[in-house]
Amino acid sequence: MRNNEDAFSTLHPTVVFGHFVTVVGVSVVFLHPLILAVSFVGALAYVCYLKGWSGIRKMFPGVLAMMVFAALFNPIFNHRGMTILCYWYDNPITLESILYGLAASLMIGAVLLWFVSYNQVMTSDKFLCVFGRMIPALSLTFSMVLRFLPRYFVQAKHIAAAQRGIGRDVFSGSWYARARHGSAVFSIMLTWALENAVDTSDSMLARGYGLPGRTAYTDFRFRQRDLAAGVTLGGGLLVVIVAIVAGVLRANYFPIFDLNAASYLSWLVIAVWGLICATPLIMGLREEAVWRSLRLNL
Amino acid sequence: MNRRVILTWVLALVGIPAVIVCSVLFRFDRSYYFVSLVIIVLAMLPFFAAFEGRRPQAREIVIIATLTAIAVAGRAAFFMLPQFKPSAAIVIITGASLGRESGFIVGALTGFVSNFVFGHGPWTPWQMFAYGLLGFLAGVIFSKRLAKTSGLGGYKPLLILYGALGTFIIYGLLVDTASVMIWASSFTWSAAKLVYLSGVPFNLIHALASAVFLALLATLLTEKLARLKRRYGLFQP
Amino acid sequence: MALVAFESLTFSYPQGKREVLSDVNAILEPGEFVLLIGESGCGKTTLLRHLKTALTPHGSRLGTVRFDERLLTAVSSAEQARRIGFVLQNPDNQIVTDKVWHELAFGLESLGIEQAVIRRRVAEMASFFGVGTWYHRDVATLSGGQKQLLNLAAVMTLQPDLLILDEPTAQLDPIAAMEFLAAAKRINDEIGTTVLVSEHRLETAFPLCDRVLVMNAGRLIVDELPRNVGRMLAKTSDPMVAALPTAVKLALALGANSGADLRSTTENPISIREGRAYLRKKLSLACSSQVEVAEVCAGIATSPSETPAADVDVAGVATKMNAPVGESCAGAVCAVMDVGEGGDSAAGMGGSDVADVAGAGVAIATISPSGLRDITTRTVVTTRDREATSVITAQDVWFRYDKNGDDVLRGVDLKVYQGEFACIVGGNGGGKTTTLGVLSGAHKPYRGKLSVLGLDPKKASGLELFRAGLAVLPQDPQTLFMRNTIADDLGDAAAQHYKNPDERRSAVRDAATTVGITQLLERHPYDVSGGEKQRAALAMALLTRPKLLLLDEPTKGMDNPVKTRLAELLQQLTADGLTILMVSHDVEFASVYASRCLLFFDGSVVAEGTPREFFAGNSFYTTAANRLGRGLVPGAVNVTDLVTYCRSLPLKATISQDANGGAR
Repeated sequence: MRNNEDAFSTLHPTVVFGHFVTVVGVSVVFLHPLILAVSFVGALAYVCYLKGWSGIRKMFPGVLAMMVFAALFNPIFNHRGMTILCYWYDNPITLESILYGLAASLMIGAVLLWFVSYNQVMTSDKFLCVFGRMIPALSLTFSMVLRFLPRYFVQAKHIAAAQRGIGRDVFSGSWYARARHGSAVFSIMLTWALENAVDTSDSMLARGYGLPGRTAYTDFRFRQRDLAAGVTLGGGLLVVIVAIVAGVLRANYFPIFDLNAASYLSWLVIAVWGLICATPLIMGLREEAVWRSLRLNL
Repeated sequence: MNRRVILTWVLALVGIPAVIVCSVLFRFDRSYYFVSLVIIVLAMLPFFAAFEGRRPQAREIVIIATLTAIAVAGRAAFFMLPQFKPSAAIVIITGASLGRESGFIVGALTGFVSNFVFGHGPWTPWQMFAYGLLGFLAGVIFSKRLAKTSGLGGYKPLLILYGALGTFIIYGLLVDTASVMIWASSFTWSAAKLVYLSGVPFNLIHALASAVFLALLATLLTEKLARLKRRYGLFQP
Repeated sequence: MALVAFESLTFSYPQGKREVLSDVNAILEPGEFVLLIGESGCGKTTLLRHLKTALTPHGSRLGTVRFDERLLTAVSSAEQARRIGFVLQNPDNQIVTDKVWHELAFGLESLGIEQAVIRRRVAEMASFFGVGTWYHRDVATLSGGQKQLLNLAAVMTLQPDLLILDEPTAQLDPIAAMEFLAAAKRINDEIGTTVLVSEHRLETAFPLCDRVLVMNAGRLIVDELPRNVGRMLAKTSDPMVAALPTAVKLALALGANSGADLRSTTENPISIREGRAYLRKKLSLACSSQVEVAEVCAGIATSPSETPAADVDVAGVATKMNAPVGESCAGAVCAVMDVGEGGDSAAGMGGSDVADVAGAGVAIATISPSGLRDITTRTVVTTRDREATSVITAQDVWFRYDKNGDDVLRGVDLKVYQGEFACIVGGNGGGKTTTLGVLSGAHKPYRGKLSVLGLDPKKASGLELFRAGLAVLPQDPQTLFMRNTIADDLGDAAAQHYKNPDERRSAVRDAATTVGITQLLERHPYDVSGGEKQRAALAMALLTRPKLLLLDEPTKGMDNPVKTRLAELLQQLTADGLTILMVSHDVEFASVYASRCLLFFDGSVVAEGTPREFFAGNSFYTTAANRLGRGLVPGAVNVTDLVTYCRSLPLKATISQDANGGAR
């Protein structure tokens, strides 16, 4: 399962998780059009890279629909702003709220797309690696839920088949009978799961669960390259935050839309931000290039 | 109470108002979503810390994981019927039988893990909090009473009523508010009204589902849990 | 310097009246491999659980358990967790986390061991067990055998001094069971860990162990070397006598001599190989007396397995073996290779389980085509007159689970006749269980004709088939129970046919009486033993008043006495007119109780016949007794056949005399 991961995904989970928190967090907090546009493009490019064209075709319409919805939603319900363009059912539609809606739409698009790649990259074991030490009991519970789930689906099939064998078919008979048989399957499932859970806890006890000082093992190792990536990411984030707080990049939507004038400094910050957003893609492409050159040398 | 729990309570009680004040003071108004997210997360911390802090036994962890897995599997099993899912019912029964803390943990984990199946998004923390609260309140209202009857006693109708209302009001309101935050990026009453109104049919179905599944499962599941508690001396303070 | 000592241990559960353990005294020396046997419910599990304080049941207790010269209760839980490893019966239930690597690390995490050390220990164990290839996998993707090996490995990462295995192979198929026991033996041999294992698969386990403990109703009645157990046990008339390995039973029946050297393999055989040597000696003694030489020799000459051709086939088997079973099957390969070398069917590992290895879809190829044709043509003759009463007919049925997948059933032809007890045997992945699914309408084949009780399962709904009298009993009876008492669950099952509550109650009582669980009616279905659950499930099926009963692996996890009880019950039901089709790995069970056997391989029926013709015709996939007597006692299928043959030789007296003589 760890075979087909791209270069970014093979970074240590804390770095990967940190990256997602950064890109999503900055996109949500700072509604600067350029920041959002860069974030959106970065997210879209990475999703393209991860999922390919067919993957994009499957999920992008949904994302687009939400973006359109957000772009329309704001001007209709938000009437702040000085520049009134027209009236809709006696409510003013302002230029500022349209621009704000567009920004919100970009923000939603970017966040949703980052989550698409997050769902693929941050697998449950990586999540456990990040939080295993912080919240050991919850992490273990979480890991157990993930262990039980596939097992329950299999068992539910077995139970349905067994019930069918003694005349309680979920798929034939009257509507009422089928609902009753379905609920029987669920009840048997519950009974089975809870009764067998005791065995699981015995197995935990037998292996010393509950002793003080439990550690959280993770199969992931923090390497030099993770440190480098982490430091770079952190540095970049710091630059962006300082720049925004210091007002190098500023965007006001209300009462009147106002961006501060472009300066070399602001373009530099955007470039840093762009690098952060493009890191996963760049890492992936670079490694593919290395592969290609290796194959050529053969 | 251990140190971590106290710390998280302080964080929540000081942090939440602080975040609100900050957002007003620094004209942070553009990111209602972010502010509300911080509030939600801070509000959940004390519960998680309390669970961690008392270092739950193997059997409790297994049963909490089992119930969560069933709630998540239930949500996945009924994926073809939008909003018609047994998860809330199971979370409520857990809270009622095993107490408010377990109710919250099972609820929050259900919200969290089910999004590993359905995909995480900005809505994840809200769903966690909403399910968690549903379980917590069920525990507050029912667990003491049920402990005396060692079964469901005569509380089944009340539980069903709570399930329907709770799912509609607590879960529906919280998750819809999250939608407002996500869509509108700023909170306006007219926008909220639209989201809430359009959410009513879905929340009604969800509430109906909770009532139906509580009617079907409550007796059975409380009996099973009571049997386990009896046999293994679980969840007894 | 005993590692473990039970000193007059007596135990009873709080509510229970009787003692579950009474006055148990036993010692385990470091490095021993000890086998604990006894009828279900004799207290084996309770005894084993006394070796770990965290798992010890609540109740009243007298006597003590010592571990490493100290009272077990005085040994800290950390030390117990580290030094005493425990593997339970159900492979699935014991796995706690979702990833293989995490499961391996779980125990070490509990002990608070640091990252780097865990990494090394996990790596060591993964290498030792050959886990490497599935190290990163989700546990949900593992087979049952792999899961149980994972449980073993996860315990071994703690480097315990004592390993306790509580019926670890009960839920596994025969090949996986052999692999597991071989792994346990390897731990014992190569690491020196003391092993205490309770097992039902004595044919495999006997040759592995250093000592055998036998329990009966909470008492330890025998504590002996394996070679001596048969004789000691025979004195007690314990039900476990019937469960002993074939070679032991044979030697017992032919009068093993009490004065013989305990270490003499030929006087006290415990494996098939030793059993053959024993039998050969007995027969040669008879032959040397110049009586019936010709007959016995003729028997040897006609035996298929000792011809040179067998060696050629065996090489083929060994290479094929690697493909489906995987590299961790070294033990099994050895067992089959022995066939080539010695001409014996089951040397190293011994036992009926080797037959099942063949069923893994490998050694079947060695059955000569002509032999197969002999059997099938013979059955056609015997069954033609029953044609009119066939309950199940399948003609050239093909099935696959999804369109792009592989065919699971490849042209199944089979018939099951009114009132018979037919049994489908064969290894894993042969399509046995899938066949049941197809016959019950759960799976729809894409080619071929089917008729079950006059309906076509492809078209008929589950309800229609059920109304026509079809009932299916699943492998796992836990898929049927949801109420708080067995009586309630039976009542639910009866509700479909008996509307009146009084009628229903009496029907439930009747069914409970039939299967012999009247005393359990008010118990919780999960509080009774596996065999009792299986019988309660059978009662549920019977309450639906079936005409045809399909059973999937009903003997799984059962010990011999329980199996016998089930078999008698099933035979009774067929005598009353019920038709039964059973799917099983259990060759020994089928050989004794089925009225007809069908061998499944690679998705179709490759051989069929009455148990006698069927197993006499097979070389590998056959009973232990058949393999033991191959070439020596023609056509023997069970121990009784072997014994009868030996006794029928004119020099019966000489045999025992000479045997005594040989011992001197």
